[in-house]
Amino acid sequence: MRSVQLSPDSWWHPANKVHRFLALLLMCFLCFGSYFCYDTPGALADNFKGDSHLNTSQFALLYSIYSWPNVILCFIGGYLIDSIGGESLQVAVNSYVVLWFKGKELNMVFGLQLSFSRFGSTVNFWVMEPIYRWVANYYGGYERLGVALFIASFTCVGSLICGLILGWMDYRAEKMLGRHEEQSDAEPFRLLDILHFKRVFWLVSVICVAYYLAIFPFIALGKLFFERKFDFSPQDANTVNSMVYLLSAALSPFFGILIDKTGRNVMWVIISTITTIGSHFLLAFTFVNPYVGVMSLGISYSLLASGLWPLVALIVPKNQLGTAYGICQAVQNLGLATVLILAGVIVDKYGYLMLEMFFLGCLFISLIAAVLIYIVDSANNGVLNMSPSMRESMTDTSECRDETANLLEHEDSSDQEVTDSRDRPDPKEPQRDFTQSQSDRIRSRYIAQLLPNTNIPDRQ
Amino acid sequence: MFSSSIISYVIAIIAFLLHTSAYGQDRTINAEINPGCNNCSLESTLVYIRAEGQTDTIHQIYEYNDLGDKGRMDEKSWIHSQSLKRVTWELKEQIITEKEAMVRLHGTMHHNRSRDIIDVKLDLLPYKDYATELPHLIHTANSTLVDISLVNLTTSRYYNSSRFALHLVLVSTDPATDTMHNVMRKSLDDEHTPGVFEIIEIKTPASLSSEMGGFVQFRPVGYTQHERNVGSSTIAHVSDFNRTSLPDWSTLKTFYKGFDEGNLLVQDMVVCFGEPGDGFYKRYNYTAWSYTIGYGAPPMEGFSLFVIVIISVGLGVPVLLALSGVLYAVRRKYRHNPPTRLINED
Repeated sequence: MRSVQLSPDSWWHPANKVHRFLALLLMCFLCFGSYFCYDTPGALADNFKGDSHLNTSQFALLYSIYSWPNVILCFIGGYLIDSIGGESLQVAVNSYVVLWFKGKELNMVFGLQLSFSRFGSTVNFWVMEPIYRWVANYYGGYERLGVALFIASFTCVGSLICGLILGWMDYRAEKMLGRHEEQSDAEPFRLLDILHFKRVFWLVSVICVAYYLAIFPFIALGKLFFERKFDFSPQDANTVNSMVYLLSAALSPFFGILIDKTGRNVMWVIISTITTIGSHFLLAFTFVNPYVGVMSLGISYSLLASGLWPLVALIVPKNQLGTAYGICQAVQNLGLATVLILAGVIVDKYGYLMLEMFFLGCLFISLIAAVLIYIVDSANNGVLNMSPSMRESMTDTSECRDETANLLEHEDSSDQEVTDSRDRPDPKEPQRDFTQSQSDRIRSRYIAQLLPNTNIPDRQ
Repeated sequence: MFSSSIISYVIAIIAFLLHTSAYGQDRTINAEINPGCNNCSLESTLVYIRAEGQTDTIHQIYEYNDLGDKGRMDEKSWIHSQSLKRVTWELKEQIITEKEAMVRLHGTMHHNRSRDIIDVKLDLLPYKDYATELPHLIHTANSTLVDISLVNLTTSRYYNSSRFALHLVLVSTDPATDTMHNVMRKSLDDEHTPGVFEIIEIKTPASLSSEMGGFVQFRPVGYTQHERNVGSSTIAHVSDFNRTSLPDWSTLKTFYKGFDEGNLLVQDMVVCFGEPGDGFYKRYNYTAWSYTIGYGAPPMEGFSLFVIVIISVGLGVPVLLALSGVLYAVRRKYRHNPPTRLINED
């Protein structure tokens, strides 16, 4: 290893702005590549069916097989992070983000990352069809599908290269700046401990499943709905359909900041669930231009995601966080995988009006769960629905009840974690940096969850 | 210029001799195949159905034979009309009971070695209900379900984006100067025909003004595979009406022999199938379409009990629950001091 003689002014020094933004670029492309690759079969759904001689239900089955591993891996991955400190891609990326950026930059960085991931999915829908057609000039039958998928998989190789470079950069920065990893002295987490998770956590996971069921299966089956009910051309229908992704790519960073500033997560979750119900109501029971309904759906979805996922970090002790997020994402994937098939059956048997009724039912369940969280929480000091300044003053009191204790713990650990090589917290603004680091810590955890798998065929 | 089409002909008759004032009641039907013709070959099939009601009798007559005529679908598209003169018709299936009269015919066209089949099914069920098969049209004692499938038709060598269309000739005893009416209704409910929100009715002037005339009712949807579902559905487009005259050598000509042809309202229309990017007819080599043809007021579809129950339970119960939850929270807030008061927050 080269000895560390660089001046901190050199752009090649890890503390330099240029260097850090190079790292940012790599992080963004890491996300872009993997999401691009995940969504390829969705973008090529029709060609997939044609070239592999699959009918719609076989294709749906293929797709759900494809999402089953997510159900198990999320859970196992989360448990591994808690027990032996292993890292999944997203958690790894997020800890890189927290290590390399902090303070004001962090929100923007998270925003960019999320946008790039969503952008990866969207660009995939734009370019895979032309790529497939180009490949079709040289290959025929199942070969052209294979070659198109092979080309798409190169973005994953690109992600891997970005990841390797980033890993090396991180290793180098660690050496040069003498940064060391936080040593976890928390007691080991055992699998049976999930039985002792609080009721509120299970209510949050109900929302994780029920709410998302009304978003992703809708997008999966939405294209035909817009074509038939609103007389949109296939292309226009695709554009409306992609609005939810685009809006969430554009708005998530801003809603993240909003929630950071205002707190009151439970209230935001309730509000966004109600507006989502309103959007589905517009789509189901009126002929109002679907852009109105879909755009408010996209806005509500982004707001909910920003409010919901940090809740888990406030409820569950830090040494169980990985498992908790793992459970949330696993049940969500389980729900999506099964309901995708169910939604197809509902459309075939009872039509889109009944499908919308099903979505509304899911949303009402999630609304009830949110209201229950509010009730349980307000019986328990109301930590979840506090503004940041209230949470902050909570930490001043010595009284440590259940959730308050968790909160304190997170803040302590996050403070340690973010206090890395570079600038120490400004002593003039200790409080501000304190809350900032707390929210950074939480965001690094939940940002991974903002990006649920969207491996859903776009038409059934 | 690539959206060319080949027009096949299926001639529908909208003409009823007797007027009726009682609609919708269940009837007993008498049906015979080729009545009074002892040496008819299976090549020409005539179904005679006598439906007896309380106050009226309706005669519906269909004959399937090789019929041919010309039509235009679109000025811009290349059209090749395919004569059905060489089609041989074969009776494949029949159910003639008091509760149902159904015949299924196969018209076979011999194109070199391929077997092109036009499958036509007529079904009269003398009571009001939704058909068992998609698009679940409503049949009544006054209307007959017609189902047409174009199976494995040979497409023209000169076109690589062929679609098939059906050319319908509509005839009524209304004044020749009048016109047929195309009435489209759009609803929020696609329960009966998933993915289809419209229903189209072609009404004769008499049907429109006094509900005493013929109608054709259908959903603007066709199916591109034998297995009918939302995924295999495609859009059925309906053209405007064109004035025309009774085709020569046709059943219609025979049927309206006793009328002055100058006083008959004769119009035609074209129904074509497909939507952009669906891979044209050759993708599945199959197109199916259904309509009902009847007399009187076209039946109206409604919300089924199932849907009403789901909507009222689905909307009512959660709203009540959510409201009581909010009430609980509000009451709680006023009964106890909120936790925020415990903290010094200015």
